[in-house]
Amino acid sequence: MGSLTDKYCIVGVGETPHMRPSNRTTLSMACEAVSKAVADAGLKLSDIDGMTSYQIGDSTTSPHVATALGMRLNYAVDILGGGSSGEALVAHAIGLIEAGYCKTMVIFRSMNGRSGRRMGGQTPGGPVPVAVAEGDGQFNMGWGWTTPAQRFGMSAMRYLRDTGCTTKAFAEIAVAHRYHASLNPKAIHRNPIAIEDHQRSRWIVKPFRLLDCCQETDVSVAIVVTSRERAFDLRHPPVFIMGGYARTLTDSPQWNYSRDEIHYVAGNYGWKRAFGMAGISHKDVDFVSCYDAFTFTTLIQLEANGFCRKGEAGEFVKGGRLRIDRELPSNLSGGHLSEGYTHGVQMVIENVRQLRHRADDACPGWAEGRHTYDRKAGCRQLRKADICCGMGWGWENMASCLILRGIAA
Amino acid sequence: MPAPIDYSKLRIVPDFDTAEWWAAAREHKYLVRQCPDCGHKWFPPIFPACARCGSLKPGWFQTAGKGVIHSYVVVVQPIVGAFIGTVPYVVAIIELDDCREAGGSVTRVAGVMLDDEPEVAIGLPCEVVYEETADPRIVMPRWRVSGSAANVWRFNE
Repeated sequence: MGSLTDKYCIVGVGETPHMRPSNRTTLSMACEAVSKAVADAGLKLSDIDGMTSYQIGDSTTSPHVATALGMRLNYAVDILGGGSSGEALVAHAIGLIEAGYCKTMVIFRSMNGRSGRRMGGQTPGGPVPVAVAEGDGQFNMGWGWTTPAQRFGMSAMRYLRDTGCTTKAFAEIAVAHRYHASLNPKAIHRNPIAIEDHQRSRWIVKPFRLLDCCQETDVSVAIVVTSRERAFDLRHPPVFIMGGYARTLTDSPQWNYSRDEIHYVAGNYGWKRAFGMAGISHKDVDFVSCYDAFTFTTLIQLEANGFCRKGEAGEFVKGGRLRIDRELPSNLSGGHLSEGYTHGVQMVIENVRQLRHRADDACPGWAEGRHTYDRKAGCRQLRKADICCGMGWGWENMASCLILRGIAA
Repeated sequence: MPAPIDYSKLRIVPDFDTAEWWAAAREHKYLVRQCPDCGHKWFPPIFPACARCGSLKPGWFQTAGKGVIHSYVVVVQPIVGAFIGTVPYVVAIIELDDCREAGGSVTRVAGVMLDDEPEVAIGLPCEVVYEETADPRIVMPRWRVSGSAANVWRFNE
């Protein structure tokens, strides 16, 4: 086991509603998410002495939030990054607390991902009227090839060709995650869908249809990390950080297309580290979260992180295997596909709530951990939720992971 | 063939690392970067160092502009305004014939095909063609299928 395994914990989580549009600033939303996460931990804002966030030039900063909320911090650094950064910042928090730079740290992401800056350069109103192609953009915007769907579609298409998988496998993921969203009062899309609904939905960029794509969202999310010793006395049973990897890269990370196999994604390089650190194997994992910017990103990460063999993810997800009460439940809040798109942290939040046995579902007693397990009545709490593997995705070339365990079963 | 790209809605800004690439395209030459020390080739030219040996003085290699389609997507919903009238169009990743290196390293480029989706398949040979734009400084390389091949794969959904 890694020496830091189980020494650090996630003790607080908080988020704003998933809105489109929020009609709020990223600072306003961040203040709410941070305050809620700190309160959820049973801490006061003055107990927090470290803050960090990630963004892509689309958000407020830790010093802004600290000013607004009257916090005096010993550490405040905001990084550039999108998906896979949240899990990586948990690793930063562990290192910083271990080294004594701060004691208790809050990590946030705040984005008007639908009404503000949209992925791929699209404006809130639609296509960008006059595009200025600078830097990397000279070699993608000039070809009308900018959005994550357009870019990841290249590795998805080649994957279909190389493995014989079809888009029915993509549909399995859309259907499973939507079913979980139907049990989540916070989700943007809650109407259950079937394989055929996915197959009939309109094309966005082949091989991706509308129901392969996540929900651009205005939202802020926050989590609180501290040491095990402090965690024991807080409001909830701690969720222990067993292991992970943090923004592991492939070679040629900014031009994925010159790698031998463009769908051999970064998780392949990371999972041994995470599972080795945690001292567990895949069969010990009760449920996963798997960054679903698109159905395909979930599919390929399951394979990359060793949950099935290379080229076999399409078979692996068949027949509803990722649904709650089945072999490997995935994205129990509905994920980016159906709950809303937060660049990853909402999945960490859901995992923490599941591990605490306090999924915020339709059960009247959820806050006290009393669940019916009646899916028809809207319960989405797993019966057995002891260990979770959360997989974060940046691009094909960048991935993070966070293996967590709870003690609240 | 897809409808024309509205280049009046697209402004390409060459920079220190890419100006020579765009200047060559204007003369209908397709360049990739090449390391003068170890011979390694790469694309796109925004990367100013050799990833194999670390040389900081990359040169250029003029390719024949021929290759094989390695993967592709079909853009149906336009995101960049210049392409609103162009959808559906195919963007392909192309493995250049004269850029394969010992040890398996490949140089792959990307671009918009002149062919419609049914004509495009993974494994087909293709070649570069040059298209004038609204900006006299910018000539845009595009690609077209240039023959047939025995073992091709096409997305049929």
